[in-house]
Amino acid sequence: MERFVGTFIRWLITPVVLVLIAIGIYHLLKRLGWKHRQAMGLSLISPWIIGFLSFIAFPLVNSLFLSFTDYNLFNKPEWVGLRNYQWLFTKDIEFWPSIRLTLSYAALTLPIGVLGSLILAMLLNRKINGVGFFRTVFYLPAILPEVAVALLWRLFFNSESGLLNYILRPIFNLFNMGKPNWFGDPKFVLPAFVIMSVWGIFGTNTVVFLAALQGVPRSLYEVAELDGANFLKKFLHITVPQISPIILLQIIMGMIGALQVFTVAMFVRPTSAAGKFLNQLVYERGFTQLHMGEASAIAWVLFIIILLLTLLVFKTTPAWVYYEAEAKR
Amino acid sequence: MKKKLVGFLFIILVVSLLMSTCLGAQKKKVTIRFATWAGTDEAKELQEIIDQLNAKSQQYIIEQDSNPADYDTRLLTQLSGRGGPDLFWVSSQRAAQLSAKGVMLDITKMLASSKHEAANIADYFEASLEPFKVKERIYGLPWIEQPVVLYVNRDLFDKANVTIPKGNWDWDKFLEVAQKLTIDNSGKNAGEKGFNKSAIKQWGFTVNGWPPAQIFVWQSGGDIIAPDFSCSPIDTPEAIRGFKFYADLINSPMVPSQQTIRDRGFDTMFRNQQVAMFMGGAADNLENRVDFRCEVIEVPMGPTGIKSTFADVLGMGINSKTKNPKAAFEALLDLTSAIHQWKVMPPRKSLATLETMNKLHPERSQAMQNIINSLAYAQPYRYFENYPDWDNIFWTQLMDPIVNNQGDPEELITIVKPLLDEKLK
Repeated sequence: MERFVGTFIRWLITPVVLVLIAIGIYHLLKRLGWKHRQAMGLSLISPWIIGFLSFIAFPLVNSLFLSFTDYNLFNKPEWVGLRNYQWLFTKDIEFWPSIRLTLSYAALTLPIGVLGSLILAMLLNRKINGVGFFRTVFYLPAILPEVAVALLWRLFFNSESGLLNYILRPIFNLFNMGKPNWFGDPKFVLPAFVIMSVWGIFGTNTVVFLAALQGVPRSLYEVAELDGANFLKKFLHITVPQISPIILLQIIMGMIGALQVFTVAMFVRPTSAAGKFLNQLVYERGFTQLHMGEASAIAWVLFIIILLLTLLVFKTTPAWVYYEAEAKR
Repeated sequence: MKKKLVGFLFIILVVSLLMSTCLGAQKKKVTIRFATWAGTDEAKELQEIIDQLNAKSQQYIIEQDSNPADYDTRLLTQLSGRGGPDLFWVSSQRAAQLSAKGVMLDITKMLASSKHEAANIADYFEASLEPFKVKERIYGLPWIEQPVVLYVNRDLFDKANVTIPKGNWDWDKFLEVAQKLTIDNSGKNAGEKGFNKSAIKQWGFTVNGWPPAQIFVWQSGGDIIAPDFSCSPIDTPEAIRGFKFYADLINSPMVPSQQTIRDRGFDTMFRNQQVAMFMGGAADNLENRVDFRCEVIEVPMGPTGIKSTFADVLGMGINSKTKNPKAAFEALLDLTSAIHQWKVMPPRKSLATLETMNKLHPERSQAMQNIINSLAYAQPYRYFENYPDWDNIFWTQLMDPIVNNQGDPEELITIVKPLLDEKLK
């Protein structure tokens, strides 16, 4: 009980302290000659700035520092320079398989996710009876807990009694193949995860595309129709350019999501012979083996991969992303 | 408006300070925060013990903090900061790690000067103390040392007309029994002609990485980590024989496929009478938790007559940053002693007798002799500070391919041994 009261007291004191800091910032800025509106604005967002600095910026910088140290949670971090990175790239037997698995997964799932949700959004954008019902149904996957979904996938992929192998049985028989052991055989782990990623098509991604599609002016299609444009031409020359900023957003977010897969992988626990996803490796190095330095190094390698790929995508945007009132030749 | 706001904030601060002062004044005994992984039922039973201890003690009040989900991660995070628990349950593997890193309090001197029954180190089974020792210093106490025993379904044995083996039985007999208890849809067993291995309704045994392969390696005279921690002698003929027996068992029709086990649940299959024999910890108490006649027997011995089984040792340690080491130590001793009366088996020689155990656990009288017999030759793994690094290689590179992918132990051992040896350097 006492412990909870202590927490409650801290819970009461924290906002008070934050408000006092905000008032202090306001007075400080006023003394420094800031205008009332500016000083008030900055002091009002100061709790969020403090939160960002404490819970995002500091851990981020600290993890970068830790990646150059030998740290096991209980010792003082000991500076080891590039040793953790060197170990990862030259000696760690799990690192390269993890990179391969994670990148392959992202490369395969990203186009499926973006194209799939775009096609689904286009279907849901049609004027048909009961479209509201379909939109609700297709959004449902987004509100299901990831772990519960992973459990369903596990049953679905069961090599002996799973629905997938039952459906695919005629194909296996045709090629005289045995039933694949989806999570036990390293060859099938990646395909299984790619199939599971189809789930990501539904939900938020589709809703975002749907909103973008509804923002395309009808007049553009009407003019194109008068000029005799068919469905494909309208899609390629009106829809895609008009929603290209959203496609860019979906590609970036999809890529980050695919490279950071964790929950499903931890819950399904496929054979480790197929490799582990990078985030799984970060968790195991950090919390099972207590090599926080190595775990931080892996996390930063993952960050650099994401950053480079994002920059690469951005580099291509002048060629295909159209912003409002922008003319392309 | 401004005055009102300042006034309101002032009142909140004063109320908060008053509340904390009042609570401070109420303190008589020291509060010991005690972290466990106990689930709902276990935590309830443990709380009853704690309530009794709290009522008796003049020094402490133990507050239980049970977190069965992701206990280790949470504990490590707490211990790395300032606000960790004073006392905590710890697995052998973590104990070896945390003792070596100085996270657990060195209690060697306190144990030597205490007259508490739980402080008598000579009374503990040596193997149970090993995970808590670093260079002859002691950092924690074990509260359970449960040997792996074999739970057998008497109903299924009787139905198959198989006698439950007693005492010295070996791998050959084990395979023979498992074969007779593996039955297909037409009622034929795995030893009979016409047995259909793709339509099995009942299996003789089950393995999914548990029971550990170490048991079979030890039984065949091999070892996994050398006693001096110099190497992993998994390439000796004895060790290879143990691994091969384990792999053959997994790939035989007598054990359900890994998919089936994942699908239907490992121990659930035994509870649902789909598996006739199940290796589990002595504390599992399955014979009293299933709807059929279940008995506990010793695991089979190896081909050369070596008896061995795995001993799961769990213990308790004190946070080296605790502000109340004396009270925490008293709480540790009282709790350890009380849990020794509660769990099967206590790691103390004076308690591990048939008479005492039957008194403490009359409901397990049928099983107790075999559990005590098993304890005599049970051994834990050889833990060391970097054991998780070694274990990661052992499981991901050797055991996972054997269990999940029909890997050939002989081929894998050639590749994995140098990697394991590297981790012991």
